Amino acid sequence: MNIIGPDYLVFGVDDVAAAIEYLTAWGLKPVDVTDKGGLFETLDGTGVIIRHKSDPSLPPPLPTSNMLRQQIYGVRSAEDLDAIEAELGKDRRVTRLSNGSIELKDDHGFELKFQVTIRRELDMPAEKINAPGAPAQRGPNEIGVWEDMPALPRTLSHVVLFVPDIDIATKFYCDRLGFVITDVLTGAGPFLRPKANDDHHTLFFIRTPEYMKGCEHLAFHMGGPTELMVAGTRFVKKGYQSFWGPGRHKFGSNWFWYFNSPLGCHFEYDADMDKHDDTWVAREAPNGAEASQIVLFEYREKWSPAGGPPPGAKG
Amino acid sequence: MSTTPALPHASSEKLHLCHAAEVREGHVKGFGPLEGYRRKIIVLRKNGVLHAWLDACPHYSSGTPMAWKTDAYLNGERTHLTCHSHNALFEMDTGKCILGPCLGQKLTRVEIVVDEDGDVYAAAPGEGGLI
Repeated sequence: MNIIGPDYLVFGVDDVAAAIEYLTAWGLKPVDVTDKGGLFETLDGTGVIIRHKSDPSLPPPLPTSNMLRQQIYGVRSAEDLDAIEAELGKDRRVTRLSNGSIELKDDHGFELKFQVTIRRELDMPAEKINAPGAPAQRGPNEIGVWEDMPALPRTLSHVVLFVPDIDIATKFYCDRLGFVITDVLTGAGPFLRPKANDDHHTLFFIRTPEYMKGCEHLAFHMGGPTELMVAGTRFVKKGYQSFWGPGRHKFGSNWFWYFNSPLGCHFEYDADMDKHDDTWVAREAPNGAEASQIVLFEYREKWSPAGGPPPGAKG
Repeated sequence: MSTTPALPHASSEKLHLCHAAEVREGHVKGFGPLEGYRRKIIVLRKNGVLHAWLDACPHYSSGTPMAWKTDAYLNGERTHLTCHSHNALFEMDTGKCILGPCLGQKLTRVEIVVDEDGDVYAAAPGEGGLI
């Protein structure tokens, strides 16, 4: 089962206009968006679909206040869809849609859809750095930052779910869909990557009571830590609310910056995540502030030290 | 008109928040953080009465800011204060969480007074105010 990762996340929101404003400011591109909602794309075509929560075209809501309605996974080929249908058709209803995609529920009742991925291959450089002892990544006269430098989400990276039972969730995604555990934060849950993706994680679980079940956050890969901090700074300056960051996680090594949103969950810019293969041995650490991050900073307004004595000082 | 207790002469221990006319019925605004407070103070008007709450969702012990954008503290139907971390809904006049991660918990009320000119003051931290 060559699952790549999330193509789209679908939300049923209570304020479509607010969500449209937010997703556009986040750096996503509206595609066929009307006052009823629509698709917001990253640079590779993955992204977020929103509708009003009363829209009958949406999958049913979770029995909580969470707005997540469906996770749409991309797979490599039609054969992968057949394999998923054969495996999960053993103990649940799997609906085959006219375009070949399949819909079903996981063991916690989250609505899932699998489709041949819509993601476009990106051909863009990563952030380049120069350091003594290593060949220059930016050559002579190639500058690193400029005021209007691009800083747009490149792809939908991962989703984090609040689930009441970690064992049930892990068994479903690992034993039935071939996900692999890369690391475990004891007390929270495991990081998972699907077979056809070498990112440290596209999925992470946090154990919570049943009444919190839903999406904790979704994350978008940026071109590097500088793009992450530039995008986050622009977002804060527009009045949006930072929740956590910027900083850098330990497990996954990815830079992070989380924000509140009108979609009932956090949105994260992330950058520079570790890659793994099947030789990797999962690590384990107790969940907490130390294990969560190697560094953590907080936004502050720009200032600069001026030369000379303070104003009014006798010279 | 507000039925919030009037204060004839604001004392120096009170921190000025806003003018009562700035917060219309059903609307919410965040002010500060004022000196001594770690978060903004949310001021709203419901059924003519002004209420003030610390902008700190009780889901986490440190309390986290609740808006998704400046002054965007309400849900889409504009019926409840909302924490836009995880969509927890709070009653505007009691601060009680009725849906979401902090179900049954309450926001921290900030005691306010309105003087005869309509200026709204919060109690200073340590004087009955909470930081």
